[in-house]
Amino acid sequence: MKTTAMLNAALDELLERIRPVLALVSNGRHGAGAGLLAGDGLVLTNLHVVGRARSVQVLLDDGSSYDAPVIAKDPDVDLALLQIPANGHPAAAFSSSRPRPGELVYAFGHPWGQRNVLTGGVLSAVTSLRGRHGDVPVLRADVQLAPGNSGGPLLNAGGEVIGLNAMIFGGDQSVAIPASLIQSFLAGARKDRPREAVL
Amino acid sequence: MSNILVDLSNSLAAATEKAAASTLLVNARRRMPASGIAFAPDLVLTADHVIEQEQDITVLLPDGTKAVAQLAGRDPGSDLAVLRLDEKVHLTPAEPAKQASIGQLVLALGRPSDTGIEASLGVVSAMGGPLRTPQGSIDKYIRTDATPYPGFSGGPLVDAEGQVVGVNTSGFGRGVVLTIPADYAWKVADQLARSGSVKRGYLGVRSEAVELGEAAQKELKRKQATGLLLVSVERKSPAEAGQLIVGDILVGIEGQPVPDHDALFARLTGEVVGKSVRMEVLRGGKPQVFMVEVGARP
Repeated sequence: MKTTAMLNAALDELLERIRPVLALVSNGRHGAGAGLLAGDGLVLTNLHVVGRARSVQVLLDDGSSYDAPVIAKDPDVDLALLQIPANGHPAAAFSSSRPRPGELVYAFGHPWGQRNVLTGGVLSAVTSLRGRHGDVPVLRADVQLAPGNSGGPLLNAGGEVIGLNAMIFGGDQSVAIPASLIQSFLAGARKDRPREAVL
Repeated sequence: MSNILVDLSNSLAAATEKAAASTLLVNARRRMPASGIAFAPDLVLTADHVIEQEQDITVLLPDGTKAVAQLAGRDPGSDLAVLRLDEKVHLTPAEPAKQASIGQLVLALGRPSDTGIEASLGVVSAMGGPLRTPQGSIDKYIRTDATPYPGFSGGPLVDAEGQVVGVNTSGFGRGVVLTIPADYAWKVADQLARSGSVKRGYLGVRSEAVELGEAAQKELKRKQATGLLLVSVERKSPAEAGQLIVGDILVGIEGQPVPDHDALFARLTGEVVGKSVRMEVLRGGKPQVFMVEVGARP
């Protein structure tokens, strides 16, 4: 197989992996954002996608739709966690390796409301932004983002999630919340979540 | 998952890491710092326009240590400058790439902050030259669609092996970002490191491009649509000493046609300074040759 054909096949594989774990999140007021299935019916998205809503609409790739309560928020890192029934949905795979500037990255989301759009580039920088309570580590990438990408994943070439796209910064450069922060947010939320009664 | 996409990604990251080891932060202006390239163990090549102060220049090495640098030389014409490091620092010199080709993958790198290397991906979009710049000229240039983030001026454009294809700069104005090809930039840098400046040829004429009629082209025995009409010749200039007069139409230098100003600029490099060159002119419609000893532009 030619190199370009092999690259295309690898991209198809990446899309196949990520499509089922990408959600569309709508709070019913302004434009929708993206969300990411994180296992056990948990859906990650950006807090600015959810706004002040107590529950939002989550639409999955298989066409199912849920009224999902917001079960955790962290305004410092712009993250929110939603709960849908854990009906054996697939879960996104997070990367555990160190992000490397120059590596290929892909953003997947719904820019301007268009469903399941993939944009590519490289990881520009592993850096930080000044937040209200100190510096927040972020990833910057030179992928094209637009409103509707928020809450969607930033993937490495292997299709693993290295971050959650959070905002558009300085033209076409994106800012993503790194996987390490997301995982500590998830761990915290799981711990705080009221245990379901075992009967 | 291991596949060709992952392999490509890994090699781009490796190329970035390799070139990052020779990419420095250059702090010589009040606003955000810019970037530079280690081109010898104690020398840093950067863009001239990011050097806004000749004193108190500091650089940040790839390993995070700070060093004081002296301005070794600068050439506004090509927007290149060379810094010499004060301390006994041993930089890892960047490797210049042999050549670039249109369409090849390239990464633009910069180190405008202390948080690490920054990168963007693109291709070589175009190559051309010579090019007149606001304060001089460059022999050739490369254009890329890799995004030049703030502070990338003076940083390298690298290929997929991490070799330096050229030096990125936004210093030629009009919001245009160009890449000065590595072989040319290294040549200029060598001169700057040795003598502190780049010599450029000087004739002492003002000229404008004019069309050459059929008769004139017949006299020249070649097809050349335009030449340069000398509209003034400065007193005591190399051109005057070489017997050139107002009204001459300069059509060639050293056997090479000179149809426009860019071609003339390209011929008046530092290498011809002090040398006697063959100037081919049309005087009264007839070709004549004058030997002119090219001076150095003040």
